[in-house]
Amino acid sequence: MAESDQQAGNHEPSPSTADQQPRKGPRGQVIIFSNWCKGCHICVEFCPTQVLAFNPEDDRPVVVKPEKCTACHWCDTHCPDLAILVKRLE
Amino acid sequence: MTIRLMQGNEALGWGAIAAGCRFFAGYPITPSTEIAEMLSRELPRCGGKFIQMEDEIASLAAVIGASVGGLKSMTATSGPGFSLMQEHIGYAAMTEIPCVVVNVQRLGPSTGQPTSASQGDVMQARWGTHGDHPIIAICPTSVRQSFDLAVTAFNFSEQYRTPVILLLDEVIGHMREPVELPEFNTVKHVERTGTDVPAEWYKPYGDSISDVPPMASFGEGYRYHITGLFHDPMGYPTQRLDEIDPWIERVHRKIQRNLNDIIMVEEDGIQETGVIVVAYGASARSARHAVKMARQRRHKVGMLSLLTIWPFAEEAIDRISRTAKRIVVPEMNLGQLALEVERVAGKRKVVRVNRANGEMVTPQMILNAIEGR
Amino acid sequence: MSQERHTAHEYLRPTKKFPNVWCSGCGIGIVMGALIRAIDRIGLDKDEVALVSGIGCTGRMPVYMDFNTMHTTHGRALAFATGLKFARPDLKVITIMGDGDAMAIGGNHFIHAARRNIDLTAIVVNNFIYGMTGGQYSPTTPMNARASTAPFGTIEPPMPICELAIAAGASFVARSTIYHAVELDKFIERAILKKGFSLIEAVGYCHTTFGRLNKLGTPVDMMKRLKENSASLSEAEKLTPEERENRIVHGVLRDVDQPEYTDLYNQLVERAMELKSQEGRRSGGAR
Repeated sequence: MAESDQQAGNHEPSPSTADQQPRKGPRGQVIIFSNWCKGCHICVEFCPTQVLAFNPEDDRPVVVKPEKCTACHWCDTHCPDLAILVKRLE
Repeated sequence: MTIRLMQGNEALGWGAIAAGCRFFAGYPITPSTEIAEMLSRELPRCGGKFIQMEDEIASLAAVIGASVGGLKSMTATSGPGFSLMQEHIGYAAMTEIPCVVVNVQRLGPSTGQPTSASQGDVMQARWGTHGDHPIIAICPTSVRQSFDLAVTAFNFSEQYRTPVILLLDEVIGHMREPVELPEFNTVKHVERTGTDVPAEWYKPYGDSISDVPPMASFGEGYRYHITGLFHDPMGYPTQRLDEIDPWIERVHRKIQRNLNDIIMVEEDGIQETGVIVVAYGASARSARHAVKMARQRRHKVGMLSLLTIWPFAEEAIDRISRTAKRIVVPEMNLGQLALEVERVAGKRKVVRVNRANGEMVTPQMILNAIEGR
Repeated sequence: MSQERHTAHEYLRPTKKFPNVWCSGCGIGIVMGALIRAIDRIGLDKDEVALVSGIGCTGRMPVYMDFNTMHTTHGRALAFATGLKFARPDLKVITIMGDGDAMAIGGNHFIHAARRNIDLTAIVVNNFIYGMTGGQYSPTTPMNARASTAPFGTIEPPMPICELAIAAGASFVARSTIYHAVELDKFIERAILKKGFSLIEAVGYCHTTFGRLNKLGTPVDMMKRLKENSASLSEAEKLTPEERENRIVHGVLRDVDQPEYTDLYNQLVERAMELKSQEGRRSGGAR
């Protein structure tokens, strides 16, 4: 996705309306319920913007690129343990 | 109510309705089909539901599902269907869901002889389903008793949260006798004990003074779990011995402590020290006649009719075995109830009079045994 | 301590042990999430929802959810559900079964529940194996695949779940996969709202048994395979028959309006009561 190439504050000002302007920053906040997670790696492997990575020490996912979250909800609709939640940020 | 000539199966159906049965799911099988046909006509007329399922296994499953929904529910079948229903009898015993299973016994094994009578499912009623479980099985000897014991079956089932087997045989099911049924609003019926605690307090299998946990129906506001796995007081599956053992004890105790209520016998001259005939179902009719003939010949003979087959009338048999010289047990099988009588009274005292070919045990056969021939 | 709450937290039983009992990466949890989202979106009252399940890994789903839940015998969930729904048409009754439970031992009840068109939603989680008992082949195991009771490969063609439901008369039939989890919850929502017998085939995988015996890798590998081997209805139309046979075609396969069983029974009762009063009138009022 194009967003991964953007950096906050570096885009050209444009005459388009606010919702056509690319948004700065993350669209979602990822919350992980580690106690329920069984470490299947599905969220990490399938996140379209690689927000998550695996922490080998406790075998649980951690958010490594929070700014990349687009709130696509792939992870929280596909977690077999209901151990991850994406909150839409306004 | 007027006196009517009525078939045993039909009287049973009326007894169910009088007891408050409002759900029947079944599958046609001789000689029980008249029960289904009767209820297919009468249940829609009294606010009840009737469905013919695709087989007997589904029938008892639907009955259990309807009972969980809050309706008093029943199915009716014969030997081959009863064999199919065993898994769900065990399920109802494990989950303590009230239901009545009518078995109008016919000659077996297997397809056997569908239009001939037998009492060959006595042991199956006790042990047909796997695992240690208590069961109640009751057995009428007349058309009027088919009505009365249908009511009793529902009452036991709801009171003790247990499946109850109503054992008829083809003779009782198909015979016709003049009966005067009571007004239905005079029939005493028992409702299952419900609960009124706040929902979050409800434990579907929790401790209770009576050993019978109060039962909420689905949709009342108590959302709980039912499973055939061993479960804890919340109904959740468990493998803990400290939850499994208490359950086993409680479920057996809930029947054992109520034997005075559950075991029904009819005694006739059993203080006699001569011969006592112990009989049930259609064989009790032959036995009554044989006892009458024997008394005309001046024999000292008494009779114990068992209306409750399971739990076994241990105390009554033990009592008569102390004074009687001989105990005659006529059955349309090769000696299934006799095994229990022998266990309690001793083999030496017990004379079996058996017929397992579809024919009734005759009064003459029983008289011969009374006379020691 | 996190104060965050997942939508799922509103619908799960806080008295149950979590994490859930399924293997790490198992799709059954994904189906549970989809079911919860569907129920949440419809806005059903928890007391009006009843879940009835069979035996197997999938059958362990209802206990986790805060509804009226019933875990029954192998293959017979639809029969129990039929009794419950018929006795209580006011309840929304959803059955949850695996492929072995619904298609093998439960095949007969599946056909008849669909035929009766009683208002039930049947969710069949198809992972192509008997997972709970260690990986024996089921009626949906693909031909030539390995299983613990098919060490030389299966020789039975798989049962077409959706086609069978359609042939038997179901009103709503849809297939989706755990990869298409959002489509799945939309189909479940439609199925629950549909009056009549609705079937959802939710295709998953069992990496622990089927995956291991057929060397298909981790849950992530099997999820990728699901993605690659699926085809939507429109995509499938563009494939050759040979190509289509090897794909999991997902979409709504049937959606028709038909008379529903409990409605027909109500009409039957009206007829019965009318006949009864006619008989009463004919016999001069006394009965």
